[in-house]
Amino acid sequence: MNKLSAVFIGVLISIMISFNGALSGSIGNYPAVVVIHIVGIILVSAILILKKQKISFKEHIPFYLFTGGAIGVVMTIFNNLCVNALGVSLTLSIGLFGQSVAATIIDHFGLLGMETHKLKPKKIIGFSIVLCGIIIMTIY
Amino acid sequence: MVNILIAFIAGAMVILSMIINSTLSKKIGVFQGAFVNYAVGLVFAVIAFVITKSYNTIDAHNFQGLPLWAYLGGAVGVVVVGISNVIIPKIPTIYSTLLIFTGQLFAGILIDFFRDGVVSKGKIIGGILILVGMFYNFYVDFSESKIKNIELNPNV
Repeated sequence: MNKLSAVFIGVLISIMISFNGALSGSIGNYPAVVVIHIVGIILVSAILILKKQKISFKEHIPFYLFTGGAIGVVMTIFNNLCVNALGVSLTLSIGLFGQSVAATIIDHFGLLGMETHKLKPKKIIGFSIVLCGIIIMTIY
Repeated sequence: MVNILIAFIAGAMVILSMIINSTLSKKIGVFQGAFVNYAVGLVFAVIAFVITKSYNTIDAHNFQGLPLWAYLGGAVGVVVVGISNVIIPKIPTIYSTLLIFTGQLFAGILIDFFRDGVVSKGKIIGGILILVGMFYNFYVDFSESKIKNIELNPNV
């Protein structure tokens, strides 16, 4: 059941990216990213109110932890651009490749306070197979 | 070609924002973290909107002509955060990442099918190769850290 839910998370991400792409395709990329964040913040606020949860900043929070939202905006704008030019599946596939390369670099150097896991040479085989898949997707 | 590079960078940013947002959520709570994330995001979205002078090109007709679902992307994002937080800690990372990738990839192919009316063989073959490559790499990581994982997580 949990495993099915994990697949469902992936499905939702694709749906989200295609909804956002459709929105930016007709009202424009920058207005779309404003609308997306307004809708999101309304739902989060509703959840916080219903669950009667409050936000407190008692603990010291380093500044960089507040930058996630800014990265999210750039990410959303980028995705919206690509969905309308490349389609959903290719945008997602290249994105997944970008994710694994970034994760590998972060692990290899132990960036952002993560534990260091050196890149295993064997994994270059896997990355090559992924790259082949992306090339086939792109040229077909 | 430029779009391919942009999609790649967007993917790399997903990892960055995931690490940052999950660290923040551990400190102040899941939905509190999501609130901060969306609030900061909204500020930057408005700044980008103003700098690019997008208000000049806004047309009310475009807003009215859109079906309701097109506006719900932001809400779906919140649902993703909510569900992920319950599900991901319950399954080993090797499975969760692959399962999410699988769902994403094949839903993406399906959505393209609904949008364009055709699904190319290339997308299916490419999609399968991507999963094979990802799976192989997870397997490399997994087989070398198996003992450690079993000690940490009896469910593996």
